[in-house]
Amino acid sequence: MNKTLLGYVPERSPIYAIHPFVKLFFLLVASLFPLFISAPEWNFGLIIFVLLLMLYSRIDMRIMRIYVPVAISMASIIFLAYVVLGGFHPEFIEIGRLLGIRVYWERIRDAIVVYFRILPMIVMMVFFLNTSRERDVIVAMRTLRIPFVVTYVFAMALRAAGMVIEDFGIVRQAEQARGFDTHGKSLPYRLRKYVMYMIPLFALSLRRAEEFSNALIARGFAFTGPASKIKRADYVLTHYRFTRLDAVLTALIGLAFSALLVLRYGFGWFTLDRSVFLPRLEDLLLHR
Amino acid sequence: MATAGNRGKITAEEIWAVAPGERRQVGVIHIVLTALLIGIGFVVGAFGSISFPLGFGVNFFWTGIAVQQVGSIWFGIWGVIAGTIFPFFSNAIAGTPFYVSAAYIPANLFQAFLPAFAFRYFKGDIRLNKGRDFVILISAMVISSAVGALWSVLVVLRSFGLLTTNSVPLFLWGWFGGNVVAGLVFNIILLKALSGVVIRSTAFVKRWLA
Repeated sequence: MNKTLLGYVPERSPIYAIHPFVKLFFLLVASLFPLFISAPEWNFGLIIFVLLLMLYSRIDMRIMRIYVPVAISMASIIFLAYVVLGGFHPEFIEIGRLLGIRVYWERIRDAIVVYFRILPMIVMMVFFLNTSRERDVIVAMRTLRIPFVVTYVFAMALRAAGMVIEDFGIVRQAEQARGFDTHGKSLPYRLRKYVMYMIPLFALSLRRAEEFSNALIARGFAFTGPASKIKRADYVLTHYRFTRLDAVLTALIGLAFSALLVLRYGFGWFTLDRSVFLPRLEDLLLHR
Repeated sequence: MATAGNRGKITAEEIWAVAPGERRQVGVIHIVLTALLIGIGFVVGAFGSISFPLGFGVNFFWTGIAVQQVGSIWFGIWGVIAGTIFPFFSNAIAGTPFYVSAAYIPANLFQAFLPAFAFRYFKGDIRLNKGRDFVILISAMVISSAVGALWSVLVVLRSFGLLTTNSVPLFLWGWFGGNVVAGLVFNIILLKALSGVVIRSTAFVKRWLA
């Protein structure tokens, strides 16, 4: 396994045969799909599709355990926003009361629609982060001819995040070695003491900024002036070829999005009226 | 006139004033700082997003506000750029959908920009030596967080259909309170602890670019 910021990417995976641009394109375009789909069963199908992609890519599915609390808290928030704080709506169908709060069918329906819009987007982001190394994101950006300075800042930011995590661990161990222990202390106390980590992290980053900039200048890097106009070879791009398969996949993703739009706005697919699941749920809740 | 007592003491006006003959220009260090601030904000912001979530990137106590606002006060436009970009990544790690995170960009831009503008416009002392400096800081924090909350909740979350009208106040106060409370805890301590060092460094930005 190769370690990245989020965790690990599989060392060998069929997903690496695909150009990083295609992975980024998939994330950007496919994340739009749920926004145009109201029927929750279609978005659920999208979740299953991405999970199958993750299995095919040999991702350790135990990584999904990290996001189970996220999914649960998201469901709680949506339930809170739509049902508990749903308000008084005599025009809606009341299906019952929960601790004195009126529960409406329309609010439950809307909460389910929103939840199944959010979940596929999260799963797609998890898929991307678990199959892309830092280098992949940089290659994708350079393929799109994003300016070198922007790509460089992005690459350094990703690397800096990893260094900050390591620094955080070092500072924490140093403070523990000096007897600093928040175990058993109250939350406000811990939050106040958290600043003891932030100050060293900032100070380390300031020093590191000087060191990095000196190193870059010593190697002839410049982002302004005549030296910045020198065309640099994109050496990393020579390791990646945009093959016919990548072109086909890119076209397929684009076509799928176009088809979605045509079906949605031309033929009324994926709407609440065309949902198979929601009327059955409505029957179940109203006629129990 | 410099005396033995005040030699080396820099006043608030002198912090921002470019001395005659002083040349300040954009350098590699500013680009590097932007990247490092994004990296710090990524980690610190993700801590807040994961530890104290309300939902959809809104947090009860968002520690990233310190990097967003202190970074922009110290480093001008470079801190503003970093403060606008890093929440996108920290929210992504915490599970906020891609396009929701992208739609928050104007809110984060304003939250990063206003404190930097306030200190430069009113010539505040970033070392927070006087009550006036605290007023500038806290006013900028409150106003920027209020605008950020209004944009994020009313424009972003309502546009995506993620909230009902009745739940808007909860998320408004969550965003606003989460930023202001965390800012009060961290911004003041960071500015008082490190501003003296930053002012003397080559990375400090007096105007907006250098």
